Amino acid sequence: MNGPLIVQSDKTLLLEVDHERADECRRAIAPFAELERAPEHIHTYRVTPLGLWNARAAGHDAEQVVDALVQYSRYPVPHALLVDIAETMDRYGRLTLSKHPAHGLVLTTTDRPVLEEVLKSRRITPLVGNRIDPDTVAVHPSERGQIKQMLLKLGWPAEDLAGYVDGEAHPIELLEDGWNLRPYQKQAVENFWHGGSGVVVLPCGAGKTLVGAGSMAQAKSTTLILVTNTVSARQWKHELVKRTSLTEDEIGEYSGTKKEIRPVTIATYQVLTTKRKGVYPHLELFDSRDWGLIVYDEVHLLPAPVFKFTADLQARRRLGLTATLVREDGRESDVFSLIGPKRFDAPWKEIEAQGYIAPADCVEVRVNLTDSERLAYATAETEEKYRFCATTATKRKVTEAIVRRFAGQQILVIGQYIDQLDELGEHLNAPVIKGETSNAQREKLFDAFREGEISVLVVSKVANFSIDLPEATVAIQVSGTFGSRQEEAQRLGRVLRPKADGHQAHFYSVVARDTIDQDFAAHRQRFLAEQGYAYRIVDADEILAEG
Amino acid sequence: MRDDASLAALLRSRPDLVTPVPTDLTQLATRAGTRASVLRALERLDRFALQAAEALAVAPDPASYGTLLGLMAGDAGDEAVAGALPRAVAALREQALVWGEDDRLRLVRTARELLAPSPQHPSPTGLGPTVQEATSGMSPGRIQEIVAAAGLPSTHDSVSAVTALTTLFTHRKKMAKLLAGAPEAAHEVLSRLVWGPPYGQVTAEPAAHLRWLLDRGLLLPTAPGTVVLPREVALHLREGRAHRAPEPVPPAVAPAAAHGPQVVDATAAGQAYTALATVEELLKDWDEGGPAVLRAGGLSVRDLKRTAVALDVSEPVAAFWAELAYAAGLVASDGEADERYAATPAYDEWLEQPPAERWVRLAQAWLTATRTAGLVGGRDAKDRALSALGAGLDRSAAPEVRHRVLSLLAGLPQGAAPDAGSVLARLRWERPLRGAQRDGDDDLRSRLARWTLSEAELLGVTGRGALAAHGRALLGLPPAAGAGSSKAGPAGTGAPAPGSLAAPDAGSPVPSGPGDKLPVHHHRAPDRLAPLSAADQAVAAAAAARLLAPLLPEPLDHVLLQADLTAVAPGPLRRPLADMLGVLADVESKGGATVYRFTPASVRRALDAGRAAADLHAFLTEHSRTPVPQPLAYLIDDVARRHGHLRVGAASAYVRCDDDALLNEILADKRAAALRLRRLAPTVLAAPADPATLLEGLRAMGYAPAAESAEGDVLITRAHAHRTPPRTAPEPVPDGPPPPDATLLAAAIRAIRAGDLAATAPRKSAGEPLAGGELPRTSSAETLATMQAAVLTGDAVWIGYVNAEGAASQRVIAPIRVEGGFVTAYDHTADEVRTYPLHRITGVAELADD
Repeated sequence: MNGPLIVQSDKTLLLEVDHERADECRRAIAPFAELERAPEHIHTYRVTPLGLWNARAAGHDAEQVVDALVQYSRYPVPHALLVDIAETMDRYGRLTLSKHPAHGLVLTTTDRPVLEEVLKSRRITPLVGNRIDPDTVAVHPSERGQIKQMLLKLGWPAEDLAGYVDGEAHPIELLEDGWNLRPYQKQAVENFWHGGSGVVVLPCGAGKTLVGAGSMAQAKSTTLILVTNTVSARQWKHELVKRTSLTEDEIGEYSGTKKEIRPVTIATYQVLTTKRKGVYPHLELFDSRDWGLIVYDEVHLLPAPVFKFTADLQARRRLGLTATLVREDGRESDVFSLIGPKRFDAPWKEIEAQGYIAPADCVEVRVNLTDSERLAYATAETEEKYRFCATTATKRKVTEAIVRRFAGQQILVIGQYIDQLDELGEHLNAPVIKGETSNAQREKLFDAFREGEISVLVVSKVANFSIDLPEATVAIQVSGTFGSRQEEAQRLGRVLRPKADGHQAHFYSVVARDTIDQDFAAHRQRFLAEQGYAYRIVDADEILAEG
Repeated sequence: MRDDASLAALLRSRPDLVTPVPTDLTQLATRAGTRASVLRALERLDRFALQAAEALAVAPDPASYGTLLGLMAGDAGDEAVAGALPRAVAALREQALVWGEDDRLRLVRTARELLAPSPQHPSPTGLGPTVQEATSGMSPGRIQEIVAAAGLPSTHDSVSAVTALTTLFTHRKKMAKLLAGAPEAAHEVLSRLVWGPPYGQVTAEPAAHLRWLLDRGLLLPTAPGTVVLPREVALHLREGRAHRAPEPVPPAVAPAAAHGPQVVDATAAGQAYTALATVEELLKDWDEGGPAVLRAGGLSVRDLKRTAVALDVSEPVAAFWAELAYAAGLVASDGEADERYAATPAYDEWLEQPPAERWVRLAQAWLTATRTAGLVGGRDAKDRALSALGAGLDRSAAPEVRHRVLSLLAGLPQGAAPDAGSVLARLRWERPLRGAQRDGDDDLRSRLARWTLSEAELLGVTGRGALAAHGRALLGLPPAAGAGSSKAGPAGTGAPAPGSLAAPDAGSPVPSGPGDKLPVHHHRAPDRLAPLSAADQAVAAAAAARLLAPLLPEPLDHVLLQADLTAVAPGPLRRPLADMLGVLADVESKGGATVYRFTPASVRRALDAGRAAADLHAFLTEHSRTPVPQPLAYLIDDVARRHGHLRVGAASAYVRCDDDALLNEILADKRAAALRLRRLAPTVLAAPADPATLLEGLRAMGYAPAAESAEGDVLITRAHAHRTPPRTAPEPVPDGPPPPDATLLAAAIRAIRAGDLAATAPRKSAGEPLAGGELPRTSSAETLATMQAAVLTGDAVWIGYVNAEGAASQRVIAPIRVEGGFVTAYDHTADEVRTYPLHRITGVAELADD
């Protein structure tokens, strides 16, 4: 009666972090429960069918799960919940996808009624071929992903034993000269490789690129890397050249401007999803080589068409990388079913405790609208309201005050609205990077910022992802894409790279009080708050008084 | 013929015979022989006794005990059957379904009619009619042919021929010889019919093997194209057995899983605590205006859904909690004009009790309630939806089934959870269903049993499917004595020896439960109790509470506050703390712990409830083990800053004036006191009175106010005529009914004439003339005899009759049929055929011949 775990009736598990057996318990429940929130005292895990099935796929059985719950639970575990867990786990593996010597890919069952049930579904029928015997049905090889996704939706997940193609071999080694993969990166690579395919979740700045590089060194085969934009593509290339045995010539860039296909090719989502005359002309990229590994960077941004292509790539190893697997469109489960289950997940605070990301001081600054702004806000159209309150003039003053306070440090000002950014740039006397800024110009400014020639940089959301600004120590967010949780996390990530001098990072979010800006901010902060980042809230007057 | 004790046993086991109390033994016998009463008695037999009765129904009447044993055990004999049969016969005797000594056992005629096979109602034995019955319509020539084909000498008449044939068929050896000569295909036909149904189809030109059987009377025609296997032949083929599978011993309740008793008790206690919390939550949810009572009574589907969402359970489970609170008297309709459900004063008392006692109150209410939550959401016989807390949910069998199911659980070793299927099988054995549904498990008792198992788990009477110690105590059973308990529990897992089932106290009185609806079973094992008496209940309650109390978690006085604006209570909270937190934060997750989330809306709710920001800070500081996180403190201050900034109130009228001084003057005027004016702003006064009163008041004070419209314009008052919405003119209402037409008149005259006949017909009464209007009185035996005579002669008789409401009347009827305690007759008074229960006929007199 004194365990660290409390099992709730809604299938969440509450883990008391300060309990002496907390670590032991965490290890026991990690295989099947998803860490949902990790604030200071009680961490919340959730038991989902997907998690249970992933546990089954990883070789855990219902008994282990039930044992873990019963052993660590402080109160008796409701019987119904245990039964439910056993029943859910039992649904996995009734169907298996495997290679048949004569018929190619086949779906077999150990429980005939289940097969009958799924074959009745209208969404399964077009994906399967002939019935080979009462327990076996042929599956069109191209529908391997589709059928897995559908079976998951029907609640009868298939065990995929069809394996992976090795792809065209290509020697890749890590060049660990003067650096090593961090323990958690090693663990992530190992988990991924052992599982075959899947998603690795690491905080921003925790070195996801290296997990990619490590996996490539494991696969030793031609690799297709999908990234969000060209800047990010260049950084991947830069990093790969630096960290692995690959040379510049072995790495191709496939983007709007260049169309190189090399043993390791880095393509942007944008070019893949460009549609001409109703077709995707760049899809051939997937077939242009016998890829042994496909890496999806920032998998939480995976555009919908890429899901479809991915469904056709089930025979290839797939690695998804992300910092925040929260999608505002709720398609997390598609990521899991098409790319693979979550293979590694490290709480932000844990990596911070290990010293690999900088500790951050998160502050929400509440500014008041002026009386005339309040009136304008009250009468604004609904779709204009956010813009009105997010761009209040007071924010500019507060931003200036914060910049003054941290004078001499590398400061990023991030915002959504170009007018607001331009105005800020003007007042702060800082360059502005926005959509129309050319790539060359962007890289030049980033370099200058990196070198310390510029200490304040104003960026729009174009710089949200994968720009490497190692020495930014302060980020000031003046507006954002409404209530996007992952954007907030990505922005915080800009300042989390460990500082050479061990400085604390500062993240300021300037918010207009009593407006929807405040509501959005609350929603945006939720992910980070759940990761244990406690926002302090201060009034603008305090900041202005100091400045 | 029956002593007082056995008479008492009969009345106890067939309580329908006592209502109303019969006047004499004859009436009792008549009533015991009515179809309805016999049906009820048959329904209460266990499977083996019923099988014995079914066997008697296919045996000759009367049959000796030996014959019955032969039918039940077969030629080869069966020890289990032989051991159990005396008990079954005793049960049938006790129920007055069988009478006569062992050498002449007779099944009550109604029972025989109900159980004997007929083409319309095949017997569960699967046997067909006897040779005699099957040949009753057959030509003597054909019978002689059959006799000859069967290798018997021809006889003079059909009766002796049939007897000879019957004798042959019942003679095992001769029969075996006869069948030895049958073609292979004929054996196949016989084996298809032997266990029933015994009827088969043949073409006009039967195949050779069928011909062979038909020639020898081994198959007898019943209708063109249909043949039947005679009962004697079937019994020969079955080696004398009436039932394919006699079930002399009750099926054992099989354990499905075994858990440690501690685990079971702890799980059950956890669930018991959840039950308390859920009921509390339900009623808290209904605290401020519960859901409305439907006009037909009960909770609307929408309200049930809402409640289910609020409790975060499925609708059937929500219905269960609502019904539980209702059964325990914690919630009821408030009886106001717009009826709503609300907690009763008993709820407040209940809240004050220690948790264990609160639980016992719920559990006992559940155990004894006839209301069944499982029915909610279904439809009744009239296709009306059954709603939670509504009418039509009472099932008198519910308490007995609950008690029985739990008793069966108590019979298992400690910590063993039963296999639900075996529990249902056992219950079905104890109370089998006659007829079609024999093997289904969708009958009411099976459903009740399944509900009992799931509800017991919800309530925490069982844990992990096994009966918990406090659940056992609740039934009034002594604590299980360790491992040996499985033997002590008479409902035991193994098949108990039949002898042990023969209850030693079969004749002794048994406490009867409320409503007398609880059947008293003939083999009463010590655990087969009717629910306890009030005193025993109190003892059981105390014992259960004592066992449960230490297992319930101790309420905590602190929570953990976190920076993501959540608070976690790592266990149940003390009530004032839980109440306050419930206001200050929204519950996000429930279970062993409770997760609360603070939102601006929840903090505002606390401020609305009259708390100041400082109170809230103090409260959180006091109950948090860790410092209050800054964002939470800020949230409270931020909400408090805006709270009450805007004020809303009600006013019926206002006075507006640009001149502050004038308003000052009005306010200062004593005459204005009655108008209760209040200054809202320098130029505005508000009043609770309506504008007309205000205008009048001000005018009386010598001012000249003008009324103002909603837009601020001055209203001009003008007389205007008041009109109704469109209306139609009233329909004329004539003084009396319209004059009758010819058909109606003819019918009326007929009725009057018939009434005359009844009132004036001279009667052949036994001498003394009856005064007009007095009902004829005869003894019931005499009534029956007269009726039967009248059926034969076709005469009309004059009867006195008391209807169901107790109103007496006299009628002239021509009886057509007398059976099963009813007279079917043409009623001259009503001019139609009606059926009268014999026991309601006070007497009968013949009409005088004139």
